[in-house]
Amino acid sequence: MNFLNNIATKSPWLFRINAGSCNGCDVELATTAFIPRFDVERLGCKYCGSPRHADIVLITGPLTARVKEKVLKVWEEIPEPKVTVAVGICPITGGVFRGGHSIEGPIDKYLPVDVNVPGCPPRPQAIMEAILLAKEIWLKRIEEAERKGVRHVQIS
Amino acid sequence: MQDTYSYLVFLGIALFNLLIFPGGLFALSLGILFKGLDRKIEARLQRRVGPPIIQPIIDIVKLSGKEAMLPETAQRPLFQFAPLLGFVGMAICAALLPIPGVSKGLPAMGDMLVYFYLLQLPAVALMIAGSSSSSPYGALGFSREMTLMFAYEIPLLMVILAVAMKVGGENFAEFSLINIIDYQAQHGQFIANWVMIPAFLAYLFFLPGTMGVPPFDIPEAETEIIEGPLLEYSGAALAFFQLTSALKNIVVLGFGVVIFFPMTLGENIFINIIWFAVKCFILMLISTTFVKSATGRFRIEQAFSFYLKIPALLAAISLILVWLNF
Repeated sequence: MNFLNNIATKSPWLFRINAGSCNGCDVELATTAFIPRFDVERLGCKYCGSPRHADIVLITGPLTARVKEKVLKVWEEIPEPKVTVAVGICPITGGVFRGGHSIEGPIDKYLPVDVNVPGCPPRPQAIMEAILLAKEIWLKRIEEAERKGVRHVQIS
Repeated sequence: MQDTYSYLVFLGIALFNLLIFPGGLFALSLGILFKGLDRKIEARLQRRVGPPIIQPIIDIVKLSGKEAMLPETAQRPLFQFAPLLGFVGMAICAALLPIPGVSKGLPAMGDMLVYFYLLQLPAVALMIAGSSSSSPYGALGFSREMTLMFAYEIPLLMVILAVAMKVGGENFAEFSLINIIDYQAQHGQFIANWVMIPAFLAYLFFLPGTMGVPPFDIPEAETEIIEGPLLEYSGAALAFFQLTSALKNIVVLGFGVVIFFPMTLGENIFINIIWFAVKCFILMLISTTFVKSATGRFRIEQAFSFYLKIPALLAAISLILVWLNF
């Protein structure tokens, strides 16, 4: 099964959640990481529209009060095993918005964040490195789930 | 005794056709390979490196190991049955497909009208999936899929009629795929016949619509209605949809090859198999890969009027020319 797990991690599907971001990091994720120079698709990545298809979730933004519930709900919808990556300084510490009246972040108060990518916005190389790190964590998660024998159908 | 024996032989051949040679294993592996090549070539056309060619296999392996989620409000039996429906339809289609110079498909059953009905099954499966998933995006995808299906069915039906009437001659129409191959072996291929060229162009326009690739990926539009009917599927069920679309690629491309240029290269079976794959690949390149790497997405009403204007007109020209015995 090890062989199959290794194969499986070569197909990370990415899902973006915007938790009140200024769009800088989103532009960086959606376009710069996909231009010919970097091309995350060479790692087998694909941006998917539905949280149900995702493996690696990329969260941008400082988690404003208005989107908090929705972000947590969408995060719940992503099937296990999943890896959470915080992109940009905002989800990590709050960035320039830290302490604002409408800011509920940092995001690791509510979600287990696996990889942090600081920067405002982060460089595309940093984003790609984060995806590579997330793949390693993901492999560990799969193996762990297999040891415990977790393979269930979840009603949500 | 004799009857039982011949029945068993027939059953054996049918199972072989369904599971291994034109259908099943062969069509599935060829379809997955085509999907990989398609993604790679699209990336290279956009000057990217692109994923490895075996990426669709990796995706399917990964999806089959993921957690499967069932929405609480979904129509449970329909929701779980929908992926199978499309897959079974396409598997039967692939088994019926005769490969020129190699095999005749399921004996005595390869008929274009059967094909016409079975080809719609993946779209019907998507509709069932969308409407039973209880998601508003699924419902939107359902209505778009249905609109698109009505639009591309009309040119397809006219193409099939034009081919059948051309082959049938004074018998009015001949729907057997094997007879169509024989007719073209004697009278020259339809691709080189000026009467049939508008029908071939109409078929080229039909291909991206039925495969659901840009500019006609309207029902599964990722950025507008977050993949529509597929939104609520995860894990193995989603993998089934991927397998269905891989099979469907081979089925519609192979159908096009059979009705428009079934020329064989000599008698050797292996050369003919490769030649068939190459023809399918060229058809895929010109009809979908080149188009999808350069286009955006139509709105549904634009796609609808496009199909009823240009491909339907082209197919109608062929149909009328055939009817007038050109």
